[in-house]
Amino acid sequence: MTENKANLNDKIKELDSRVEWFYSDDFKLEEAVEKYKGAAELAKDIEKDLDELKNEIEVLAEDFSK
Amino acid sequence: MENSFTPSEFVSVVNQTLDYAYSSVLITGEVASFKVNQGKWVFFDVKDEETSVPCFMTLYQLKMPIEDGMKVMIRGVPKITKWGKFSFTVTAVKPVGEGSIKKSFEILKKKLTEEGLFDSAKKRGIPEDLTKLGVISSTQAAGYADFIKIINARWGGMKVTVAHTQVQGMDAASQIVKALKYFNEHGDVQMIAILRGGGSADDLSCFNDEELTRAIAASKIPVITGIGHEVDESLADLAADVRASTPSNAAEMLTRDRMVEKQKIKQTMLRAAQVVLKQTEQLKSENNNKVREAFKRIQFSLSAFENDLKQKIKMIEMLNPEKVLSQGYAIISGKVSPGSVVNITTFKNEIEAEIKEIHDRK
Repeated sequence: MTENKANLNDKIKELDSRVEWFYSDDFKLEEAVEKYKGAAELAKDIEKDLDELKNEIEVLAEDFSK
Repeated sequence: MENSFTPSEFVSVVNQTLDYAYSSVLITGEVASFKVNQGKWVFFDVKDEETSVPCFMTLYQLKMPIEDGMKVMIRGVPKITKWGKFSFTVTAVKPVGEGSIKKSFEILKKKLTEEGLFDSAKKRGIPEDLTKLGVISSTQAAGYADFIKIINARWGGMKVTVAHTQVQGMDAASQIVKALKYFNEHGDVQMIAILRGGGSADDLSCFNDEELTRAIAASKIPVITGIGHEVDESLADLAADVRASTPSNAAEMLTRDRMVEKQKIKQTMLRAAQVVLKQTEQLKSENNNKVREAFKRIQFSLSAFENDLKQKIKMIEMLNPEKVLSQGYAIISGKVSPGSVVNITTFKNEIEAEIKEIHDRK
């Protein structure tokens, strides 16, 4: 699950980086539609992850009263 | 038959009996005659209106400052010393009652502040990419349940390792210290949250323990506290890297809200779409301007050509012989010498005429 979360954070970072392209000097209108489609798919994927990911909670067996 | 003892045997037997009968006793009373000998041994009495119990403990075991007049709860074992005196060997002491707790808090706060334990320069923030969290709390406490509920509602994908400890009472501070040590030595966590819901000053007094405060300040892993309510301030809060006002507030500070995150992603994509749209509109507008400019140029060229043509037509018209004749001029053709016959063409007539004489004009 932590791995998934790491992936989720990576995905969010990846999305941010893809969106930055639209504001950069590299922006080309002829490439924009394809780039946008890719980013939109990634955004959808992230939203799905956000809906589905759960936290893993483990209570330690150690007895701290001793 | 009566037993006969040596003094040593007798004290030993009495101590065994006391230990059997009172292996651990709690006494609450007022401190009197407090003193520290050789920087190591602590002596004081705990008394009420009628009786006074002489107490002894090591300075190391004294986790919160106490002084004469303070109300305290002590834990320990009764004992007869080798000099035959009764003494209560104290293993733990804590101030009780709002006044004593506050006084103890202020004394320790002053001391630890002077040591620089609470310096803001030492504070570390919450890791940006928090995926591994250590929690120290009682798993039976309401504050812990609130914390877990909120983190699960807000975010997912975190590994939360929980160290179950007491969060009130005389043993709480030492258990929390052990849990902190555990995480620092074995726990693969990026941050430690110490949580405890609201309670009375007595309930929360363990968070003013000197050893615990020092352990928090010394933790290699950043610590966040969510202890009590908004108004409660403990030394543990002051030593922590981040202070949340409650366990619920700690949960909010440690996690992003998935709903907000989804909204942000939507906004991000919308803004990117707007960039594309704007650029498309701009390109369209630029193209339209170019077409308009080209049209204007063509119009201008055509107009210049038309004027030029009109001018030329005018000139050609001016040179037309019929036009000249219409203005009253005539064309004479034939040999120009006296006696010869020439043709004279006017606008209306063709005339034959004989030349009589020729003179120079000047």
